[in-house]
Amino acid sequence: MATSWVLPADGKTTTSLGPILPSLSAEAWAFWRLRCQRTIWALRRVLQESRLRLALVLLLSGVLWGVIFWLCWDGFRFLRSAVGHAPTHDQIVHHVFGMYLLALMLMLMISCGILLYGMLFRGPDISLLLTLPVSAQRVFLHKFQEAVWLSSWAFVLLSSPMFVAYGLVAHSPWYYYAVLVPFLISFSYIPAAIGAMACLVVVRWFPGARMLFLVGVILVLVAGGAWLVRGLSSTEPGDLLTPHWFQSMLHRLRFSQHRMLPSWWVSMGILEAAQPKQPAPWASRPPWAESLLFLTVTISNALLFRQIAAGVGQRWYRTAYSRLHTQQHASDQELRRRFWLTGVVRFLRQWSHWASQNVDRLLVHLPMGSQTIRLLVVKDFRLFRRDPVQWSQFLVFFGLVLFYFLHMRPFSYDIHHATWVNMVSFLNLSVVGLLLSTFTTRFVFPTISLEGRRFWLLGLLPLRREQILWSKFIYAFGSSVFPCSLLVLLSDWKLGISPLIIGIHQLTAGLLAMGLSGISVGLGAKMPNFQETSPARIAAGFGGTLCLVLSALYIVLIVAMTALPSHFWLALQTGQATWSSGPFGLWETNIRFWMFLGIGCSLLLGLTATAVPMYLGFRAFRRMEF
Amino acid sequence: MNPFVPMIEFQHVRRTFGRTVAVDDLSLSVLPGEIFAFLGPNGAGKTTTIKMLVGLLHPSQGTIRVAGWDVVEHPREAAQLIGYVPDEPFLYDKLTGREFLDFIARVRGMSPRQAQERIAQQAELFQLEDFLDQLTETYSHGMKQRIVFASVLLHDPPLLVADEPMIGLDPRSVRLVKDLMRARAAEGKTVFISTHTLALAEEIADRIGIIHRGRLIFVGSLAQMHQQGLMQDKNLEEFFLELTNTQLQSQSSTDTFTPADSLPTSTPAIPEALPPSQHRSASA
Repeated sequence: MATSWVLPADGKTTTSLGPILPSLSAEAWAFWRLRCQRTIWALRRVLQESRLRLALVLLLSGVLWGVIFWLCWDGFRFLRSAVGHAPTHDQIVHHVFGMYLLALMLMLMISCGILLYGMLFRGPDISLLLTLPVSAQRVFLHKFQEAVWLSSWAFVLLSSPMFVAYGLVAHSPWYYYAVLVPFLISFSYIPAAIGAMACLVVVRWFPGARMLFLVGVILVLVAGGAWLVRGLSSTEPGDLLTPHWFQSMLHRLRFSQHRMLPSWWVSMGILEAAQPKQPAPWASRPPWAESLLFLTVTISNALLFRQIAAGVGQRWYRTAYSRLHTQQHASDQELRRRFWLTGVVRFLRQWSHWASQNVDRLLVHLPMGSQTIRLLVVKDFRLFRRDPVQWSQFLVFFGLVLFYFLHMRPFSYDIHHATWVNMVSFLNLSVVGLLLSTFTTRFVFPTISLEGRRFWLLGLLPLRREQILWSKFIYAFGSSVFPCSLLVLLSDWKLGISPLIIGIHQLTAGLLAMGLSGISVGLGAKMPNFQETSPARIAAGFGGTLCLVLSALYIVLIVAMTALPSHFWLALQTGQATWSSGPFGLWETNIRFWMFLGIGCSLLLGLTATAVPMYLGFRAFRRMEF
Repeated sequence: MNPFVPMIEFQHVRRTFGRTVAVDDLSLSVLPGEIFAFLGPNGAGKTTTIKMLVGLLHPSQGTIRVAGWDVVEHPREAAQLIGYVPDEPFLYDKLTGREFLDFIARVRGMSPRQAQERIAQQAELFQLEDFLDQLTETYSHGMKQRIVFASVLLHDPPLLVADEPMIGLDPRSVRLVKDLMRARAAEGKTVFISTHTLALAEEIADRIGIIHRGRLIFVGSLAQMHQQGLMQDKNLEEFFLELTNTQLQSQSSTDTFTPADSLPTSTPAIPEALPPSQHRSASA
C-alpha cells in the first residue's frame, strides 16, 4: 500500500493526523513530468506525421521574422540618420519602445485572462485534476504557465526582430542581446499574472457577468485607443515631421513613461544595455549596471506578481470553479439583482433572440438551393451564433476594421492625391480579404471535420453528401460577402473613390468571398481531421495551414489583377503618367484592354479557386468512410 | 478503520443552480464496508450530489464529510481518500496508459517504485498489458474505462465513488467491476455508485437511495423494503417507477413539494445507517 491514511480521531474534526499527502515539491515534479511527456509525444507526432506542416510553419515564421527585422532595421537606420541629435533620438526610441511594450502589456493581460478562463474553467482535464489530492494552487500554476507560454510566444516572435535590429543599428555590446531574453520573459509574466488574477476575481465574484466584464474592458481599451489615435493624428497641415510635431507627439505619449509601468522598466533596461560600454560623464553607474538594475526590478516584480497570483489561485480557484458551474442557469432576474448591468445583457439576449428567429425564417425562405440545403444553412447559422468564440472573434476583427475605416480622415491622408487614395483603397480591400481568410480558415475549414465526427446523424438522413458541402459553401459565402462588401463600400465612401473603382471593388469583394469560401470548404472536405475535437486545433493543422496560405495567395493575386490596371488608369486620368509612357506602353485603348483583362482574369481565377477545391472536396467527401 | 464513523456524511446539503434547486436538504450517512447505490431519473440530482462529494462543486448549504473531513475545507485530504470514476472520464490523449497511471500515482504521493508495483498489479487485474504502452487516443471506450478504474484504485482508496460505472464495459469487465466492488466492501471499504441500471443496484447494493427532483425520497436496503411490505410482489424497477411517478403526480397536483406527504404511507423515515453486515444478514 503506497499511501496509508489515518482517520481524524472523532470523525468530525480535522485536528488529528489525516491522510498522507504528497509534498508540494512532489506535486510540482509530477505536473512538470506530465507536461514534458505530453510535449515529447506531441513533438514526436509532429515530426513523424506533419513534417511538411512543421517546415511550412518554420518557414513562414522565419519569413515573418525577417520582414519585421528588415522593416525595423531600416526604420532605426532612418531615424538615426534623420535625427542627428543623440538625446532626441534616444528619447524617440524610448517612447517607441515604451508605447510598444505598454500596448503589448495590455494585450497580454487580456489574452492571458481569456486563455486562463478557458483552461481553468472549461478545460476537459480540470474535472480530473480537481478531484485529485493536489492543491488548487498547483492546478492554477500548471495552467498559468501554459497560458503564459501560449500568450507570449508570439510576443517574443514579434519583439525579438525589433530589438535585435535596434541592437545592430546602435552597435550594442554583446550583453545587450544576452539580457533581451530574461527581460522579455520576466516582462510577460507581469501582465499574465494580472490577467490571471482578474480572471479569477471576475469568475469568483461575478460569474454571471463575466462576458459583460470582458466586453467592458475591450470597449474601454478601444475607446482609449481611439482617443490616442485621434490625438496623434490631429496634425496641422504642413506641421508633419517638424520639431514642433515631434515635441507634440512626445508630450502626448508621456503617459507611457510613468515610472511604475513595467513597460518603462523594460524599455529603460534594454536601452541602457544598448549604450556603449563607456559611461557618460554625468552617469553614476555604467550602462550595464543600470540595465542590470532594471532587469532585477523586472524579475523581482514578475516573481512577486506570480506569487500573488498563485495565492489568489489557492484561495479562490475552487470556489470560482464551483460558482461558475452552478451559475450557468441563473435566471435573468437573479443576475440583475446581483449586478444591475446584467439587465443590459437581458435586453440584448431578448433582442438577439428576436433577431435570430427572424433571420432563421428569412434564411429558410431565401431562394438558394433546395429546402434541405437551406435547413442545413440555418443549422450552421444557429451553431455560429450560439458559439461566442466564433461571433466574438468575428465581431472583434471586423469591428476593428470598421473602426479604422470610420476614422480614416483623421489620419490626414492627402485624399486629393488620386493614386495614393487608390492604393490605400486596394490595401483596405486586401486587409478585409485577409481578415476574411482568417475567418474562413478558423471557422469554416474545421466544420467538415467536426461534421464527420457526428456523421452518423447526417449520414442517416435522406440527403446527398454534395448537399452538405453546398450548404457549407452557401453558409460561408453568405456570412462573409455582406460584411466584406459593406466594409469595402464604407472604405471607398470615406476615401471618395470614383464609381467605376467602387464597382471594381465590389466585384473583387464578391470574388474574394466566393473564392475563400470555396477554398476553405473544398480543402476542409479534402483534408479532414476526424481525430481532433477542437476547431482551433483542426485549423492549426496542415490542412488549415495550407488553406490559410492558399487563401493569402489568392487574395494577393485577385487584388493585384484588379488593382494594377485601375492604378495605371487613375494615373493617366490625373495626368501623372503620359499615354505613351509607363509599363506596357500606356495609351488610352491599351489601358482599357488591361483593365478588362485584369477583371476578366480575376473572374476566371475566382471561379477556378471556387470550382477546383469544391470539385476535389466533393470527390473526397463522396468516397469518405466515417 | 472504525466501522461506526460514517465514511460519507451529507448534512442538510442543498445545491442550487440559479433558481433551480438541484439537491435539496440531503442528509445521508454511508458507513465503511457498505455498497450504496444512488438511483434517480435523469436530472434528479445524482451527478450534482456526486460532484459535491468529490469536491468539484460546493454545496450552497450544509456540509459533506468524507471520513470526517469536510470536502470544502479540506479538499486534498478528502480527495486522497476517494477514488472517483466520473460519468465522462478524461484521459490525456498524448500520454500512454502507463504514463497516465504513473502521473496519478505520483500526485497521490507514491514513490517511483511503489507506482511501478501498483501499476503492474492494476494492469494484471484489469488486463491492460496489451495496450498499456499505447497512446490513450487510440483506445476504445471500454479500454479507457478500464484504465480509469485502474487509476482510481491505484492508491487503494477507502471510498470508491462511481457515476454510471458500467457504461462501455464488456460483460467480462462488468463482472470484474462487480466482483471488485463486493471484495472492497468485504474489506471494509465503501462503494458509492450512481446508476440507472436497477439490476446492478439490486444485485450488489447493501442500501439504495432514490433521489427525485433533488430530494432523497427513499433510503433503505432491499431487505428492509421486503420486511416492511413496500415491495409487495414488485421488483425494484416497478418500485422505482411507482415511487418516482407518485412524486411526479404529486408535484403536478400541488405546487408545494413535500416528499414525506407523497411517500407511500408505509415508507419508513430515512433509516439510520446500519452496519452493512446487518443489511446482508437481513437480505439472507
